[in-house]
This record gives sequence, structure tokens and C-alpha cells, in this order.
Amino acid sequence: MTASELSQPAFWPLTLILFLPAIVAAILALPLIPKAKDESIRWIGLVATIVVFVLSLWMGVPSLFGPLGPGQFELGEPGMQAVVKQPWISAFKIEYLLGVDGISMPLVMLTTFLSVLAAAASWPITKHVRAYWILFLLLETGMIGVFVSLDFFLFYVFWEVMLLPMYFLIGIWGGPRREYAALKFFLYTLFGSVLMLLAILMLYFASDLTKLSREQLVAAHVVSGTLGEPALSEAVMAIQTSPTPLHTFNILALSHIGQLPESPFAAMRFWGMSVETWAFLLLLIGFVIKVPVVPVHTWLPDAHVEAPTPISMILAGVLLKLGGYGILRICYPICPGAGLALAWLVCGLGVVSMVYGAFAALAQKDFKRMVAYSSVSHMGYVMLGLGVWSAVEGNLYQSDAWAQGVNGAMFQMLAHGISSAGMFFMVGVLYDRVHHRNLEEFGGIFNRMPLYSSLAVAIFFAGLGLPGMCGFIGEVLVTLSSWNYSRLLAVCSAFTVILTAAYILWAIQRVYLGAEYKGPHGEDLTPMTRRELAIAAPLVVLAILFGVAPQLLFNYVTPTVNQQVETLTAWTRSVHDGSRIEHAASLPASASLSEGSRP
Amino acid sequence: MELPSVLPTLLGLAWLVPLASFVAILFAGPRMGHHGRGAARVATAAIVTSLVLSLAAMVGWLSQHPVRNAVHGGHAAAHGSADGGHGSDAHSSSDHVASGHDGGSHAADHDAGHAASPVAYSGDWYTLYEGGRLKLSIGWYIDALTVLMFVMITFIATCIHIYASDYMHDELHDVEDHEVHLAGGGHFHRPGRYPRFFQALSLFCFSMLGIVIAGNLAMVFIFWELVGICSWFLIGFYYERKSASNAANKAFIVNRIGDFGMLIGLMALWGALGTLNFADTTDRAGDSQPGLFSLVRPTVTEHAQWVPDGMVKFAAADRIAVIVRKHAGDPRAAVDEVEEQLDTWRGEGLGRWLLLVAGLGIFCGCVGKSAQFPLFVWLPDAMEGPTPVSALVHSATMVAAGVYLVGRFYPVLTPDALLVIAYVGAITLFISATIALVANDIKRVLAYSTVSQLGYMMLALGVGGWLAGLFHLVTHAFFKSLLFLCSGSVIHACHTNDMRKMGGLRRVMPWTAGTMLVGCLAIIGAGVPFVIGTSGYYSKDSILAQALLFSRTNPAHWILFYAVAGGAMLTAFYMFRLWFMTFAGEPRDHHVHEHAHESPPAMVYPLVALAVLAVIAGWTLPGGFSIANMIEQARPAGTGAEEAGGLLFNSFTIPAEHESHEGSVHVVATWTAFLTAAAGVFLAALMYVWKVISPSMVAAVFSPLTAFLVNRWYFDELYAFLFVKPILAVSRLASDTDKGVIDKIIDGIAWGARQVAGIDSWIDRNLIDGLVNATAATTWSAGLELRKLQTGHLRQYIMFIVLGTVALFVLASMLFRSTLAG
Repeated sequence: MTASELSQPAFWPLTLILFLPAIVAAILALPLIPKAKDESIRWIGLVATIVVFVLSLWMGVPSLFGPLGPGQFELGEPGMQAVVKQPWISAFKIEYLLGVDGISMPLVMLTTFLSVLAAAASWPITKHVRAYWILFLLLETGMIGVFVSLDFFLFYVFWEVMLLPMYFLIGIWGGPRREYAALKFFLYTLFGSVLMLLAILMLYFASDLTKLSREQLVAAHVVSGTLGEPALSEAVMAIQTSPTPLHTFNILALSHIGQLPESPFAAMRFWGMSVETWAFLLLLIGFVIKVPVVPVHTWLPDAHVEAPTPISMILAGVLLKLGGYGILRICYPICPGAGLALAWLVCGLGVVSMVYGAFAALAQKDFKRMVAYSSVSHMGYVMLGLGVWSAVEGNLYQSDAWAQGVNGAMFQMLAHGISSAGMFFMVGVLYDRVHHRNLEEFGGIFNRMPLYSSLAVAIFFAGLGLPGMCGFIGEVLVTLSSWNYSRLLAVCSAFTVILTAAYILWAIQRVYLGAEYKGPHGEDLTPMTRRELAIAAPLVVLAILFGVAPQLLFNYVTPTVNQQVETLTAWTRSVHDGSRIEHAASLPASASLSEGSRP
Repeated sequence: MELPSVLPTLLGLAWLVPLASFVAILFAGPRMGHHGRGAARVATAAIVTSLVLSLAAMVGWLSQHPVRNAVHGGHAAAHGSADGGHGSDAHSSSDHVASGHDGGSHAADHDAGHAASPVAYSGDWYTLYEGGRLKLSIGWYIDALTVLMFVMITFIATCIHIYASDYMHDELHDVEDHEVHLAGGGHFHRPGRYPRFFQALSLFCFSMLGIVIAGNLAMVFIFWELVGICSWFLIGFYYERKSASNAANKAFIVNRIGDFGMLIGLMALWGALGTLNFADTTDRAGDSQPGLFSLVRPTVTEHAQWVPDGMVKFAAADRIAVIVRKHAGDPRAAVDEVEEQLDTWRGEGLGRWLLLVAGLGIFCGCVGKSAQFPLFVWLPDAMEGPTPVSALVHSATMVAAGVYLVGRFYPVLTPDALLVIAYVGAITLFISATIALVANDIKRVLAYSTVSQLGYMMLALGVGGWLAGLFHLVTHAFFKSLLFLCSGSVIHACHTNDMRKMGGLRRVMPWTAGTMLVGCLAIIGAGVPFVIGTSGYYSKDSILAQALLFSRTNPAHWILFYAVAGGAMLTAFYMFRLWFMTFAGEPRDHHVHEHAHESPPAMVYPLVALAVLAVIAGWTLPGGFSIANMIEQARPAGTGAEEAGGLLFNSFTIPAEHESHEGSVHVVATWTAFLTAAAGVFLAALMYVWKVISPSMVAAVFSPLTAFLVNRWYFDELYAFLFVKPILAVSRLASDTDKGVIDKIIDGIAWGARQVAGIDSWIDRNLIDGLVNATAATTWSAGLELRKLQTGHLRQYIMFIVLGTVALFVLASMLFRSTLAG
């Protein structure tokens, strides 16, 4: 690494945001602070998350900090920004390649924001405080790393880095059945990551940079666009004229390769299926476990019920988003052919999760389990929105509805990050006081803790998808967009609104309404503390703010999502046109009528 | 300033002021005066401001678009201008007058009264989502109906705020709630919640006005849900009572069932047409984008309904796909050919079903909100809320929103959808009227009466009586809120809802008795035939006339007219049964009677104000102004004409509304209305005043029927059996599947994996070589080993994590370099 590379203006912001938590974790691991000083450790951890959050705000919302400087995020620019590129394992062209666009930037800010709140919510944790905070901060680095990595291998490494702290945070600081829950979480996720690794390697060995044009190489940051003219052309020539295929882990380059008219991913086959289909399916399994979708969701209720409150907030608020992010960032752009052919699978899984999760939530007796199932149901909207590939021949390749679905899915991810973290926190506040979560043994909380109850009901309304709250926008956009893909799925997704209202209102009734508290430890129902208020209030405020002014988020998301959708729509058109030309000689016009018009 | 920019400002402010009041009370409510007494003043001041702004808007409107007398014959109820809907008038919605508002403001402004398209101003305040051609926004659509609804809602809301400031005075101090039963016996005490009531009321006013001013269906849906949640708050105001929280949940969830249908309607429109705007808009490029109204009733068809292009294309997706494949590589040619084919496809009827689904879907939302069959079960239970809430939310405004939306959305509804609406209305009005006959709770009688009257409105709209339905909506709002406030006054005095404990109250509560009598006369449509009458006389007559005309035009649907006529008689009977039982005769319960007293002035003044309007709301002023004529100004283009349907039913014709005001139809309808109402009152008097017929004897003779009615046709039991239980069973099944099936499989796999790992992880590592499996196995077995580590010390864990993380990075690079890259 040369000095000139480190002085790239974009190098430090992202790198700092990414590694600062890990560095602080490392410092905490040194025995600098005496064992007894738990309070100091907590403060160090909290301050670290706050610094990271402010850094991410500096990067993501530069308008708060004056004129746009280098390394800051420019709104409205659809492409990758603040790209950091350093060789890492050069033998395999594995790079330290980071960047953010309209999809990842808000997710990074969500992560750093929720980390601050979760850190503040970690105060009641008194067991092995130092270890807890080290793991917590490592987890933050892992999560941010997944969102900003543009190298597939790096992505995988962060994916794994995130897994281990989570395992321990549940397994050590969790409830009575923590070991079971942690192991279940671990096995599920590990299974997914093994498949993901397979897919990564498949794609790597099938990829070939020599097929890309100069523009594509520059756009994918394979060669740096900032190079001077002779150097740039030389670098491009060196790649294009390579006698052997040049493999790559660069996600952007893989996307360009995957969308080539003669994509090697579509051409190469294993056991009757193309690499593209294999990779899509393997990656999809890995990602949907994280989302999670039915039927690979059962780790979630257990993990949530056993996890301590702050970890539940992170789990629901950020970790579940990784799956949706992966599908959007990796599955569709790299394997568009499989994405088109299997859109029904993605949408179908989404709708099944929505309906099944809502039904299951209705049956729960444990407050936290109910909220966990509501996450399954809400994340189903994300899947459905991502999958509604309706830009096909039959509607003259109009991509607006599809773009709306993907935008809605992105919004839903961010909104759910706010509302689910809030819901889990609200459950935690009660649990800290009365040490149970049995929905049948609450009641009358509104009269005992009025401020807390008002905020809790507000956050639950956000989960209910009430207009004016953040949950509404994503759900309504996804639902409206699904009609153009499939009427049946659209009707099923609309049906979910009834179940959602039922389980949320019923829970509110059983917990907050009524005349008297029916459970144990009633004397401990003390009013909300200031610390708790400081965590809950920002979530409620954001839930309302994003519900009233969704443009605040769409300003980030829409340009990037629309560009991706348009690119894939153009790809769809080219594929259909191409196949028509291919068959034109052999098939009479009427024969092609019988081919399905929809995927 | 020009009207197109003044109106949105005035009404926009009128809409937002209650929101400001809500926010203020939310944060400062308990600190507003003693026990929050000031909250009532803040909320009342806000709604009075809204009323003033709305009145200013109305004055502005009338100064520019004077209401002309369109009355023919001797009947004062207005009707369609003779040429309305046959618009040969070409200058319709296409001439826009852009104004200074962001998003652009439009006015299809031309000669009012006899124009093909009504005068309406529309535009956007701000955008929620925009992507490609699609845009969801918060905007306005203001026509005569909007202005009138604003005045009506803010006026009634003002009355109710003033009334409630006294009615709710119990909440100013600690409350002992006798209806709450504590587990340990004893009484339940709680602090008063005076500010919270007005806070919710303000939020409700904001939401309700939002529905009325909405410029597109998405915005309607947004505020639709918001009034729903306000209703949830207000029904559940006494949330310590199980019955109240149950009723609140029931109301919201049943409404969501309707919203499920509404969402389908929205999807059908949005998916195929890409817009939910009522009026035309201008996009960023400055081009005019047609809204729903002009898509479904364009100028090319002279505002007759047709299936819009988008829906035809949507239904023809398979054929379009063929064309696109034929012209592969030449998208322009494909688009051209599709455009050429459009009319042929439309001729084949493609997309007709989609338009019907859209209309019926939106109507489903209205079924929920306006408590129509089969979703009416929530409204009677909603009477758990305080009585002012019942008057405002559950009779005058929110429940009428469904009727309003049908009226607003009227141009898009196909004749078949309208006939479905008519039948739903007929069934509703009949069922609820029969239940009202036997109810003894004074508020429940009024609740069922509300359901029944809403059925009337729906029926009127369905048989082509656009004006009749909306006119009745306005007059009903006045007299039904009056009736509810009177009942509140009675309950306030008697501390009971049970009419069997009342009687003879006219002597102690003369003002309440008098105003309630006015309300009863208005609801039965009392009047001197062909001369003058209460407001109900005009609106109910026009409904009857339209129903009669429809039945004459389509003899197969004769039952619709008989439903209306029969319903009129039932209404007269149960309303006067209510009045006689409450106010007439001798006191039945002396304990109740002794404590009864007339209500304080703050409660009586609103009664008088509403009573005056209940009488005069149907009258035509000398200048030609009347509420009906003003509504008529907003008649959607093309809806005054005859239209034929026949997709769901055998072919039928929806007659033009103006014909119902002519000749024998009008005469027969007026006499039918008069005679049925008189018969109903007479029968009630026979039973409850002169006691010629004993009510208990009648009940005994028809005992199975009485039981059936008292149990409200067993709808709650039926729904519990058909829906609630199965849904709960499915939810348990889902939950059990997770625990019993999926988790068992996962546990089994985990157990198996542990066994394999347990045999010898060493063999594993040595057997498997190669990059793929090496990396996978490392993580895999690491995961399995972790369980053993749990028993160790924490320091070990942390060491492992840090080492593991570093090792992953280092190992990966080492492995790659040494094994394969060389």
C-alpha cells in the first residue's frame, strides 16, 4: 500500500466507519481498564458507536456539515460513490474494495444509528461487561462491512465475522434456552454461508474480465477511471487481450459479466443447470435464511426470545436486512437470467412468509415471539417487492411497477429496521421490570406507565402499517406493485393487512389496555427511565418522520434502484429479442404464440 | 387572488388547524388549565377556525360559481340539469389553468351549471413517492361537494366540541368507573382523561377533512386508515372496560376487511392505469396526464364510460406479448401495432372485468367504513364510545365517508358495480331496520338507524341517484348528529341507556324532547306533500323517486323500491317508538326520573342549532341556493345520463336521475313516502302511546322472530363460527408446524451433524482437501465445536473470536496463495 493510495480522499471515511468499532473492541480487549470499571467500558462503547454514527452522518448526509466534500455521499447520483480500492490477496484479485450507493448508504446509516441505540440499551447487562462490548463492537464492524463490501470475498468474510459475535451474544447473554437458540441460529446461518461460498467460487471460476468493454471495466472499478489517458488504455488493453480468462471477485464486474448477452454464467452448465441458476439458488438460500422466509425461519423466534434486548434490536433491525440486501445487490444483477426465471420463487416465498408469519404471530402467547413472527411477516413484503419482475413483453417492458416494488422493498427494510427495533425495545422495557413476557398476564399497563405506553403503542402502530408511520409506505408500494406481476400474490399480500391489524391490536389490548395488571411483580412497573426514553423517543420520531416524509429515504434509494431496474429491463428486452432472432428461422410465427408470455 | 389558489389555501388551513390542536394537546394537554380543562378550548377554537375558513371558502366559491335554481315542477329537491352528461360541450377537463402552486394547480373552469364537466380545482402539495410515470402524492381536489362537505363537517364538529366540553366534565376529576369489574371486587378509580378526548377528536377532524379534500385515492386511503385509528381511540376511550377495547378492535379489524377489498381496487387501478388522481395533472415536462375521471370518461366518448386504454392493454397482455415478439428489435413498431389494436380489443370487452373489479374493490372499503352488509356488525358495538363521539364519528361524518367516496368515485363505477351497491344498500337497510325495531338501548336504536340510513344512501347511489344519495348524506348528518346528541343529553340526565327505564322525560327535559322530536320528524321525512317539509322530506323523497324509476325501468329489480318503501315505514316506527318510550307517557322508573334534569346550556345550544338545520337543510333560498343545487354543481361528467349494464346481471339500465323528478314517478314517490311514514308513526303511537296493542304481546306472538331480531340475526355468532374460529385455528396450526415439524427436522439435522462431528473431526479435516471444502469445513466444524467451548471460560471465547477473525483473513490469503494460485 503506497502513501498515494492512502491519501485518496475517499479512503478514510468508509474505512474509519468500518473499522473504528473493531479498533475500539481491540483496545477494550487490552487490559487497560481495571476489571471493576464496567461503567467506563460501557461509556467507551457507547461513545464509539456515537462517533461511528456521526461519521456515517457526515458521509451520508453531508448537507448537515456544510458543502459537499470528497468522500461524502452525493444525493441523486445513482452509481457507486466513495469507492475504496486496495489490492489485498492479489493472487486471486481479491481486493479491499468498498463503496456505497443509494442502496447501501441508508442501510449503513441505519446500522450505525441502531448500534447507538442498542448500545444505550445495553446498560442493564451486567454479566461479563467487557466481553459483551468487545463482541458488540465487532458485530457492528461485521454488519457495516457486509453493506459496504464490493468484493465478493470480502463480503463473505464480513458475513462470517458478523456470525460469530452474534452466536456468542445470544449464547452467553441470552435467556434460559440461550444455548439451544444460539446453536440453532449458528447452524442455520452457517448452512447458508456454506452454500454462499460455493456460489461465490462458482461465479469466480466462471467469470472472465476479458469480455468486458472499457466502459464496463471503468464502471466496475476494475481499472480506475482516474488514471491518466495512456495508463488507462494500457490497463484496459492488458485485461482485454489476456490470453487466459481473468477471474474476479468484484461484485460490480460480476454484474456486468452476468448481464452480457453471452453471459458465461448462463452458458456454463453443471448437472443440467447453468452456473447462473445454481449460483442464484445457492445464494438465495443463504440470503433467505437471513431474511428469514418460511420455511427456514424458525431460528428467528428462538433467537429473539433468548437474545438480550439490545441484541434483539440489532438482530431485527439490521441483520434481517442483510438477506434482502444480498438479493438486491448480488442475486439479481449477477444472475439476471435466473432472477427472471425464478422471480415467482422469490415472490412466492415472500407472500408465504407474509401470510404464514402473520398467522403464526396471531397464535403466540409470548410477547417477544409475537413480535418476532411479525418480523417474518413484514420481511415477506421485502421479498415480494424485490421479486416483482413485471417488465416483460406483455406490458411492453414498462419497468415502473417493478421499480416501485424494489423501492418499496428498500423502504420496507429501512422502516422495519426502525419499527422492529422499537418493538423489541418496548418489549424489553417491560421484561426488565416484570421478568415475563406472557401476553395473558399483562393488562392495565397504560394506566401504570402512561408515557411508555404511548410510545409503545405508537411504535406498534408503525408495525401495523398505519399511514403517517413508516410501516405504511413500504407495504403499500410493494402491495400495489405486485398486481402487475401476479394477481393471486397481490390478493394474498393485501389479505395480510387484516391479520396484521388483528395480531397487533390484540396484543395492544392484552398488554396495555384493561383495568389492572394481571401478572407477577406488579410493584416493579415503574415509569420509564430517562435512558429508556432517550432510546424510544428517537425511534418513534423517525417512525413518524419517515412515514410523513418518505422522500427523505427515497432521495437515496430511488436513483440507484431505478437505474438497476432499468438496466435489467433493458437486459430482459435484449434477451427476448435475441431469442426471437435465434428461433426465427425454424419457428413459424404461430408456434411462438404458445410460448409463455410471462415468466 | 384567484380562486384556484385561494381555495386550496383556505381549505388546506381548515384541514391542518385541527392537526395543530392535536399536537398542542398531545404535548401540553394536561397542563392546559385545571385538569386540562383548557384542552376543550384549544380544540374548539381550532374547529371554529376551520369552520370560519370553510365558510370563507364557500363564500368564495359561491361568488364565482353562483348556484342556480335548477328546480322543475313543484318539488324543491333539485335534480340534474337537463343536459348534464350529454355534454356536447368540448371544452372540458382539457383546458387547464395552471397556478402558482408546486405540483401545478388545475381548473377545468368554464360555464358552470350546464357544463359537461363540473368545475374542480386540483393540485399537489407534496410527493410521497415518485418513480418513472408513477407518482403518489398528497394533493387536493376541490369542487362544490368538497366545499359543502367541509362546511358540513366543521359545523357539526363545532357543535359537538361545544357539547362535549360539558358532557365530558366527569373526566375533569378522578373517575370511578362502575362498568369496570376488578378481580378483587371493589371499584375502579382512575384520573380523568379530559384532554385526551379532545386530542383524539382533533386528530379525527383532521383525518376526516383529509378524506374530503383528497386529490387522489391513495390519499383517501391514507386518511381512511387514520379516521379508522381515531375511531379506535375514541371507541376505546374507556379502555379499562373489556367491552370497549373489544369494540374498538372489532371496529378496526372489520374495517380492515373492507380495506383489503379497497387495496385490491387500488391495485387494479394503479397497476393498469398508473394513476390514482381524480383529476388531470401536469407532469414535470408540462404535459397533461389524465386522471381517473377523464380516463374512464374521456371527451372522445362525450363522457360516456369506457374501459380505459391501460386496462385494455392489461387484459391483453398475452396478445401484446405476441406482437412484441413479432416485432423483436423494433419496439416502436410493436407499440404502434398495439395502439392500432386497442379499439378492437376494447370492442371485444377486454378489461371490462378489471374496471368492475376496481369499482367493487373500492366499494368494499366503503362497505367497511359505512357499515354496510356484511360488515355492519362493528357499528352498533362502537356505541361503547362517549356519545359525542357516536354523534360525530359514528353517525355524521366517518361512517358517511364510504358514501362520500362512492359519490366521489362515481364516474369510475360501472353499472354492474352500481347495481351491486344498490343491493348491498337494500339488504343493509332492511336488516338493520328490523334489528332497530326491538332494540332497547337508546344508542343502539340510533346506531342501527344509522346503518339503515347509510344503506339508503348506498341504494340511492346504486340506482343512479347520485344527487339523492349525497343529498341524503348531508341532511342525515344534521339530523342524526342531533338525535345522538339528544340521546346523549338523555343519558347524561338518566345515567342509563335503557329506554325501558325512561318515559315521561318531556316534562323534565323540554328542550331535549323538543329538539329530538324535530330530529325524529326529519329522519322520517315529515312534511306536507308537495309544499314544504323537514330536510329528510326532500332527500328521502328523491331517493324513493329514483328507486321507483329504477324499478319501473327494470321490473326485474322491483324489490329495490319495496325495500326503500318498507324501510321508510320501519324507520318511522322505530324512531317514534324511541321518542314515545323516552319522552312520552309516564315515568317507568321513578328513581331515574327523579334525578333527571335538563342539560346545561353548552349542551342545549348545539341541539337547537342542529335542530334548525335538520329542518331547513333541504330548503331552497329565494336566490336559488340550496344544498342540493350546490351538490349538483359537482355532478361528475357523464353521470346524469342513462347507462346500460349486464356483466354480472341480466342486462339492465340505470335511468338518468333528472327523470325521477318528473310526472308520475315524483307523485307516486312523494305519496309513498308520506303514507309509509305516517303508517309507521301511527303504529308506534298505537303501541306506545294509546297502548291499543301491547308490545309485549306482539313480541310473544312472534317470539322466534323477536329472538332472532334481538340477537341481531345472529351475525356475531355466525362470523365467530365462520371466520374468527377458523382463523385462530389456522394460526395455531402455523405456530404448531414451526414447533412440531420444522424445528423437529432442524433438531434432527443438528443432532446428526453433531454425531458425525463427534466420531472424529480429525478424519474430516484430513479427508477433505481442496479449497471449497476446506474453508467450508473449517467454519462448519468450528461451529460444532463451539458448543463444547461454552463450558469453558470467557477469556477463551474472546481469544477464539479475535483469533478466529484474524485467522479467517490470514488463512484465506495463505491458502489461496499456496495451494492454487501457484
